[in-house]
Amino acid sequence: MKRIMIDREKCDGCLNCTIACISAHQEGSNFYTADLTGKTADSRNKIYFKEKEGYFPIFCRHCDEPECVMSCMSGALSKDSISGLVNYDADKCGSCLMCVMNCPYGVMKPDQTNTKMIKCDFCQDLTEGPSCVKACPKEAITVQEV
Amino acid sequence: MNSNFSCKTCQSADQSLENFISGLSVETSHHRVEGQSVKCGFGLQGICCRLCSNGPCRITPNGQKGICGATADTIVARNFLRAVAAGSGCYIHVIENTALMLKKTAQTKGLLKGKNTLKKLADIFGIQETDQYLCAEKVADAVLSDLYKPDYVKMELVEKLAYAPRYKRWMELDILPGGAKSEVFAGVVKTSTNLNSDPVNMYLNCLKLGISTGLYGLTLTNLLNDVLLGEPAIRLAPVGLRVINPDYINIMITGHQHSIFTYLQERLTDKDVIEKAQKAGAKGFKLVGCTCVGQDLQLRGQHYQEVFDGHAGNNFTSEAILATGGIDAVLSEFNCTLPGIEPICDELLIKQICLDDVAKKANAELKPFVFEKREEQVEEILDAITESYINRRSKVEINLQPEHGNNDTLTGVSETSLKDFLGGSWKPLIDLIVSGDIKGIAGVVGCSSLTAGGHDVLTVDLVKELISKDILVLSAGCSSGGLENVGLMSPSAASLAGPKLRAICEKLKIPPVLNFGPCLAIGRLELVATELAESLGIDIPQLPLVLSAPQWLEEQALADGAFGLALGLPLHLGLPPFVTGSSLAVEVFTENMKELTGGQLIIDDNAKQAADTLEGIILAKRQGLNI
Repeated sequence: MKRIMIDREKCDGCLNCTIACISAHQEGSNFYTADLTGKTADSRNKIYFKEKEGYFPIFCRHCDEPECVMSCMSGALSKDSISGLVNYDADKCGSCLMCVMNCPYGVMKPDQTNTKMIKCDFCQDLTEGPSCVKACPKEAITVQEV
Repeated sequence: MNSNFSCKTCQSADQSLENFISGLSVETSHHRVEGQSVKCGFGLQGICCRLCSNGPCRITPNGQKGICGATADTIVARNFLRAVAAGSGCYIHVIENTALMLKKTAQTKGLLKGKNTLKKLADIFGIQETDQYLCAEKVADAVLSDLYKPDYVKMELVEKLAYAPRYKRWMELDILPGGAKSEVFAGVVKTSTNLNSDPVNMYLNCLKLGISTGLYGLTLTNLLNDVLLGEPAIRLAPVGLRVINPDYINIMITGHQHSIFTYLQERLTDKDVIEKAQKAGAKGFKLVGCTCVGQDLQLRGQHYQEVFDGHAGNNFTSEAILATGGIDAVLSEFNCTLPGIEPICDELLIKQICLDDVAKKANAELKPFVFEKREEQVEEILDAITESYINRRSKVEINLQPEHGNNDTLTGVSETSLKDFLGGSWKPLIDLIVSGDIKGIAGVVGCSSLTAGGHDVLTVDLVKELISKDILVLSAGCSSGGLENVGLMSPSAASLAGPKLRAICEKLKIPPVLNFGPCLAIGRLELVATELAESLGIDIPQLPLVLSAPQWLEEQALADGAFGLALGLPLHLGLPPFVTGSSLAVEVFTENMKELTGGQLIIDDNAKQAADTLEGIILAKRQGLNI
């Protein structure tokens, strides 16, 4: 099973992972054309900055015991037993926001219409793996076998 | 030297060059592409602002304005105008030095090789002077006087140089430039912290800088150089790494200021200088062309056959040229002199001398050119180069590439030599365009970059697509360097053209891609466009003529591009010029420009698709002319 691992000491806060995530989820866009301010400018990752402590890259961990899945009443969120990834089926989502409230890392968030959730899908449709990892110039995030 | 660099090199349109570079033991730009493959998204979109200590501010979903309140549209426009101003400054530096050189040469009654061009310029400027030296001095003074005007005083030669319908449009848009140097200054001020925030005002300013860059930095630099160095004459010439002859002391020249080398070139054929080389064990001195100054020398090679071996390659070929070991010294006076040559010169004991401090390389000797001291300077330079030759030849390995390039690149094409070739009139070309044998003309210009597919990749692919559609290609800039080395400027390339263009090329024994030489010669393409429009009695935007800078690299290219748009020409770029973070910028360049000047920007890194788009535009323009 693969996971995105974070080495926060290497993070410069460049936000390339954020652009990569937005671009990967806007059909037909690339780094030049990604819309970073519109209604679909939603990133599944974020970087916090704390004075004296530096940058904290926050990425979905696809937890072994995912609180988001456990709190999801409609069955939109599920844990894949083979890949170990937490998948989201928007068609089943009831927009109750329980996943947002229960995620211990604050990764889950609603989209800008408050009707669907923004959730890391590990870029499963891309052969080269997660776009954020590919875009990180410092290798602060890497895909590792766990 | 450096054992810790990537062994993976980027792709090149020139397979033999790619193979050579991938086997080198020195690091080149081609090796560094992989390590720089992850790009900053904010930089690519032009939405990063570093103008004050509140920054850098970037436009993100959580920060849709900079701290000062600047929007993406403002940040992109400021960054873009800054780049255009800097690019303009580079070309204006070149024309300033060229005009000064003409003035001093005239004052000292030096050799003026281009009498016809001098007369042409005197006629355009309205100078009536029979003495050639006084005439040349007045021509130079007229140019310098315009360059040094303040920005609130319009330059006087613009109206004389520009095509009348264009001048009228520029006047309507209020984009006639003041003094060219001051306009650069104004562009820098306008884009500083908390000054101009109006994107449209800044884009119009870019067009203004485009006009001063194009008419002075490009067009006039060519013409003044024609007076000083001789007019281009069409001929076949060798190109590529094969031109390096190890029997000679080889001097690689890089830059854009050809006239700086005038006295040196003359001296290289003198008996005492040849003897100096012979004493050191060589047959003589040779100049090896690299970057645009090499292209320019090649263009005028008819006048320098004894000392000029040929053009070896463009900007991103320069490291490979040095890596052959056959070069004994680099004389540089401007860009594109890559910092990447420095460690290679150290490793291979190659002497570097910079003749203009704007292009001072970190480990090179600086010897700023002084006209009055040129004789002693040239002696010192030749001594230093001879010493380098003696010191290095027994110590370094020579790895020549005699198979690279070709011996039959057609060169020496200019607005004058091409017209002469056609029998002294544009009518034969116009007739071929009207009959559809030539569908249209594409000026494929600018640099090479190592993005957009790799070195010269998009340029070569696009040109192949265009000629296959019976579109005649004219090239100027480092694009020419790539196109000639892969054989597209050899008469045999006619076989790659569409049937109609092929028939013409075979009949005239010319290639389907004509070599106008350096990027400065984009100004010559503008002269061709103007003369064609004049002959037809139409404005430039109506011509079935498109521009493309598929692999534009630098700020100068953006200033050139602004000129193309001011002329009202469709301009294709392979990669966006860091503006896509602003929807307004995209709208202005791709749509509104059609109303403003008649021009438009097309961004596409797919050769086939871009060629289809450009063909579509050419066909629409033909329809507009009922042909």
